[in-house]
Amino acid sequence: MVRNIVVLGGNSHPALVDSVCNALSLPPCNRILTKFSSGESRCEIQDSVRGKDVYIIQTGFGGNGSRLNDHFMDLCIMISACKTGSARRVTAVLPLFPYSRQPDLPYNKAGAPLFKAGSSDNGRKDYTFESVPATPAPGIPKSVGLTNGTDITSKLLKTSLTNGTQSPIKQLNGDGYFPVNGVNGTSNTSPVKQTGAYTTHDYENLSHVGAFQAKPGYKQWVAQAGTLVANLLNCAGADHVITMDLHDPQVQGFFDVPVDNLYGRPLLKRYIAQHIPNYKDAVIISPDAGGAKRATAIADSMGVDFALIHKERRPTKITDRQNASMMLVGNVQDRICILIDDLLDTGNTITRAAKLCKKEGATKIYALLTHGVFSGDAINRVQASAIDKVVVTNSVPQDKHKALLGSKLDVLDISPIFAEAIRRVHHGESISVLFNHD
Amino acid sequence: MSAEMANEIKLISGRSHPELSDKIAKRLGIEVARTISLNYSNQETSFTVGESVRDEDVFIVQSTATGDVNEGLMELLIMISACRTASARRITAVIPNFPYARQDKKDKSRAPISARLVANMLQTAGANHIVTCDLHASQIQGFFSVPVDNLYAEPSFLRYIRENFNPEDCVIVSPDAGGAKRATSIADHLNTAFALIHKERPRPNVVGRMVLVGNVEDKVAILVDDMADTCGTLVKAAAVLKENGAKSVLALVTHGILSGNAIETLNGSVLSALVVTNTVPLGDKVQRCPKLRVIDISPTIAEAIRRTHNGESVSYLFTHAPV
Repeated sequence: MVRNIVVLGGNSHPALVDSVCNALSLPPCNRILTKFSSGESRCEIQDSVRGKDVYIIQTGFGGNGSRLNDHFMDLCIMISACKTGSARRVTAVLPLFPYSRQPDLPYNKAGAPLFKAGSSDNGRKDYTFESVPATPAPGIPKSVGLTNGTDITSKLLKTSLTNGTQSPIKQLNGDGYFPVNGVNGTSNTSPVKQTGAYTTHDYENLSHVGAFQAKPGYKQWVAQAGTLVANLLNCAGADHVITMDLHDPQVQGFFDVPVDNLYGRPLLKRYIAQHIPNYKDAVIISPDAGGAKRATAIADSMGVDFALIHKERRPTKITDRQNASMMLVGNVQDRICILIDDLLDTGNTITRAAKLCKKEGATKIYALLTHGVFSGDAINRVQASAIDKVVVTNSVPQDKHKALLGSKLDVLDISPIFAEAIRRVHHGESISVLFNHD
Repeated sequence: MSAEMANEIKLISGRSHPELSDKIAKRLGIEVARTISLNYSNQETSFTVGESVRDEDVFIVQSTATGDVNEGLMELLIMISACRTASARRITAVIPNFPYARQDKKDKSRAPISARLVANMLQTAGANHIVTCDLHASQIQGFFSVPVDNLYAEPSFLRYIRENFNPEDCVIVSPDAGGAKRATSIADHLNTAFALIHKERPRPNVVGRMVLVGNVEDKVAILVDDMADTCGTLVKAAAVLKENGAKSVLALVTHGILSGNAIETLNGSVLSALVVTNTVPLGDKVQRCPKLRVIDISPTIAEAIRRTHNGESVSYLFTHAPV
């Protein structure tokens, strides 16, 4: 029994809250957390939190009929309610940090893919912005900001035509298991909710973004919400944040309060040692150059060979696109492959990597990931892929995924790690022992 | 001002109420900026700016669609922060229906003051100015350390009453004690009688017993309130007024949230009409409820935007509704 501590759970992952409370042998805090019929969150904390050390567990996952943004707002409201309720310290426990994965920007050093399509923009490609006032010329509107109607439509018409001719190539760019979703034409004014239609990769796929075109001469960019989320948690009153396997460890720097980034690595290592036969002869593979550090850390400490897949996000114009867009560095011939990454979202990266490994002669493929979000058609994609076993932690609810994937999915329990972290933070003990622990 | 380069109004619309943004844009004679916002398959909101907002005067219009409040709020925060990082000169959040306005006090132990949280979040995201409409409690303005312009639908309501009724025949009724000030102000402007209904509220979204204070006999009773949510209050109040001899009963409400079974409740009520403004997207509710009338508030908001941009006084709009 730990004293003066309150564990408060959100609606996103009740099972994890229960098992963390079990491990700490204390009951979860009584609360009402629902929605008013107008859609506003209703939160009432029924147990006293005055002078207590409050831990609020809410993971960044929406699904099973709940919404991610609702959970995040609930979290902020709970933090703020505890703060106004005179809690001594409020710690936000986010097993999966929302908005931690910044979207892939549609631009790289080589240039702007969106302008490739519109040949009419050739002359203006070099400008970063239009001069104000614009030089009056045919096709250029006289007043700035008031784009003349015919000009836009002709541009849109041209780009959409070129998009059309390109789309067969773009479809090959997908995972190859499923045809790419139908073209979702959206305009900024359409009130239609797009759920499950887009992924963070979709900006490379022009057909997905549909009719949207940035203003000529302006390089569009995508909002990066990670900093905002950190600031909002600060502003709600979080005194401490505990999370796990941040996609970008730099997110820690967005906070003014202490952030403890726990690692799922010990769990994954234990799984490899206990469940993969002859793991010393296997190859640990990072499916993405960005995750190389994570995978090499495991490979080094276990004395296992390492390979890397170089994933070109924007393939060049080569006919055999599957090979052109991915490249395996290292040898996997007749060996077991262990793919290691932090996050499975739509499963695009990991299934493509698995396909490539199979092609290069791998005998069996394991995929070990800390967070298994399985959004969009990820379940089907994984089901149809060359992966023999997917291993994820229960940082987000996995019941539904387990039911759909059956024995293909193994779930590791992270509640002991979080319970121990909460206990140690509460008592002011060092938690670095959790980082080294095998 | 003259030394700086002239900047422009950039009107950015969220996904919650594009019709209102379009009306405001039309009124201002500009186009809504090119942006796209969408939800990824993992439900995270993504927002992309398609034109430069550097050193521009940005106005972001986002209402709160019924049932989707948190979604809209998160989108608004992301839009504000995106414009802030894109070097906008000033960012004004135009929130016709302020979310969580009713959670504005600690009325029970450990109740969240969510309105204050929303205010802090908007400022954290980078809003420099807030334009809103008929705040549930005007004290919410005090939660902000940036300027808040609270516009009123009252001038539009006054015009509606004058155009459709003889003020002599009317009684303005406040359905609860909290809204008495709003109702008396209208009654004073029209020089009509005033009545008040006292209600007990045992649980949220549930209405208890009601008592009428004042005389409504043989008059057109006009209920005035700031929001109609489940409409339980309004419908019960209307029944009480009818029992007390009112000729007919109608309701003038700024924010038509109309959640839950509001439409069915309204259709089966003695209310002859519910007049709302279009601060909240109504969707197909106008078709489903023949008693629903909508006053367009966009001229007031557009004028507030224009005046804010040009550095003119906004107080004219507190007493006059632009046509």
